[in-house]
Amino acid sequence: MISRRALELATAVLTGSFGVAVIVSSLDNGIGWSSAGVDAGTFPFLTGIIIVLGSLYNLVRGVLPAATLANVPIAITSIELRRLAGLFVPAAIFVAAIPLAGIYVASALYVFAVLAIPRHQSVPRALAMAAATALALYVVFERMFQVSLPHGALAAAFGF
Amino acid sequence: MDNLAELLHGFTIAVTVPHLALMAVGVLLGILVGVLPGLGAPNGVSLLLPLTFGMQPVSAIILLSSMYWGALFGGSVTSILFNIPGEPSSVATTFDGYPMARDGRPTTALATAFGSAAFGALIGVILITFLASWVAQVALAFGPAEYFAVYFLAFASFVGMGGAAPIKTVVALAIGFAIAAIGIDTVSGSVRLTMGVDELVKGVSFVVAVMGLFGIGELLVAVEEEFHARAVSSKIDWREVFRAVGRLPRHGVALLRSAAIGCWMGITPGGPTAASFMSYGIARRFSRRGRHFGTGEVEGIISPETADHAAGTSALLPMLSLGIPGSATAAVMMGGLMIWGLNPGPMLFVDSKDFVWGLIASMYVGNIVAVALVLLTVPVFAALMRIPFVVIAPLIVIICVVGAYSVSNSYLDVVMMLGFGVVGYLFKKLFYPLAPLVLAIVIGDKAEDAFRQSMLISKGSLGIFFANKLVTCLIVGGIALLLLPLVLQLARLWRKPAIDTPAQEKVII
Repeated sequence: MISRRALELATAVLTGSFGVAVIVSSLDNGIGWSSAGVDAGTFPFLTGIIIVLGSLYNLVRGVLPAATLANVPIAITSIELRRLAGLFVPAAIFVAAIPLAGIYVASALYVFAVLAIPRHQSVPRALAMAAATALALYVVFERMFQVSLPHGALAAAFGF
Repeated sequence: MDNLAELLHGFTIAVTVPHLALMAVGVLLGILVGVLPGLGAPNGVSLLLPLTFGMQPVSAIILLSSMYWGALFGGSVTSILFNIPGEPSSVATTFDGYPMARDGRPTTALATAFGSAAFGALIGVILITFLASWVAQVALAFGPAEYFAVYFLAFASFVGMGGAAPIKTVVALAIGFAIAAIGIDTVSGSVRLTMGVDELVKGVSFVVAVMGLFGIGELLVAVEEEFHARAVSSKIDWREVFRAVGRLPRHGVALLRSAAIGCWMGITPGGPTAASFMSYGIARRFSRRGRHFGTGEVEGIISPETADHAAGTSALLPMLSLGIPGSATAAVMMGGLMIWGLNPGPMLFVDSKDFVWGLIASMYVGNIVAVALVLLTVPVFAALMRIPFVVIAPLIVIICVVGAYSVSNSYLDVVMMLGFGVVGYLFKKLFYPLAPLVLAIVIGDKAEDAFRQSMLISKGSLGIFFANKLVTCLIVGGIALLLLPLVLQLARLWRKPAIDTPAQEKVII
């Protein structure tokens, strides 16, 4: 269970740290005025400042027990959190597997795993869908539009 | 009457067999992404973008804009038949569309929605036909200072009129600007904000951001609620279609008012979502039958639908004539224009007449094609909603992954896309607006260039932004819009010092 307040806080910290990173990084390019006009770092520096200030405001608004937040104390219930993880974790594993397995093998495995393991579909149907997905990707991208998708380190090892 | 001659020439470009076929394909794909809950017009269009790189720009924009029309219509189908808005901009259509369909009048609801949507789109296109080239002509005289002022006004209007919490809008905008600045600086040639990652030199493509923010983000929001696709009958009674459309003129006032709201919100970057909500709210207040809203009122369908489509269409006006997109989808299309080698803005009307007028003519034809196709295919797409979400979700994830990768064959883009997905989810959950973020990513560079060029001209003096009447008006208008939320807040506090009225949070893309 995640409260609205915690979520507001986490997001404000996230945006704020991005702002700090932008400020620090923009200092390398120089801020202010030089012979070439406005320095390259000036604009990012200003946006960074705005992000940090805005995030601080949102942070304070998020922590204070304001009327808006009292209405919705819980942002994500535990059931919703489980559903979220059920979608996101396999997707993240899928993306992580692409450099090794290549997009075709990884997507087939991904489709099969999310359909067959929670028993949403029978194993043969999940297998068929997984194969169809990989095949459709290959036909549409590699053949029709000549876009080469990553084949992966494993495929390279086998000489594809 | 130059415009009409140009328009006729445009029709000779748009009404050819290959372009009509492209329109049909675009509309069908658009309805598909409009119907599917995790996909919407912005990421549908950006998914299609890599496939248009080999096309003629006119053909490419016809395909993409038709997809946009299709998505706008498709979103209404699921809103009415399933009470599930396929697009954020069709949320307001569920309020009266679904009750009417549930009461056994699905055909009436659908036909009313499509009829008023087509009317809204028509008004939007007429506006573009007569206004766009005029605006472009005015804009031809713009220098960098005027351009920066227009950009400033556009961004300020998000803060002042977007409807989201103003500071959250500001943060979203600023993050977009920072992301746009990543990579090689176009003015000085130096590398910026790569934070030690060499691959970031190429910058962050808006396609990657849109895939994540709207694709994965939307999916994560959608998976939270279990979908109960309890469809009402999706059979179409053709005689009722014509009867319902024939009854529309009786609601002429509502139609015109909603179209006006839509056009205004489309040209100023308020976007279709804000337009449909605003139009619905105003209709409820002013309609004689306002008390019955929410139970299947005809005007409760007409108002959001007309405004939604009028806004969606007229969002292309500032994109074409000024190079400032009026909605997230228009921003994606504008990114496409730049990739195809066109320079969005007033020069389009001089350099690429065929492109501009071909597009405008195709908007007339495309909307007719869209109405016909959406009516014909309602049963097919309604059946699609019965496919369980668990099957569709991984397919959408794969589509987004492949889409992000194919932008520049980079694995880093895929990882960033997933990151943007998490950000998109958090932002949606906490009512940070996404449209300004995307807009800033697409035109952040141009706004910055305009600012730095004006500074070069004026040798560092901000006085250049008050050098003539036009630029002063634009800047002052922008500042006024920025301060508007603050003024409203103060006025509210002053009137009712004791009660802290919570700002209403709305669904905002």
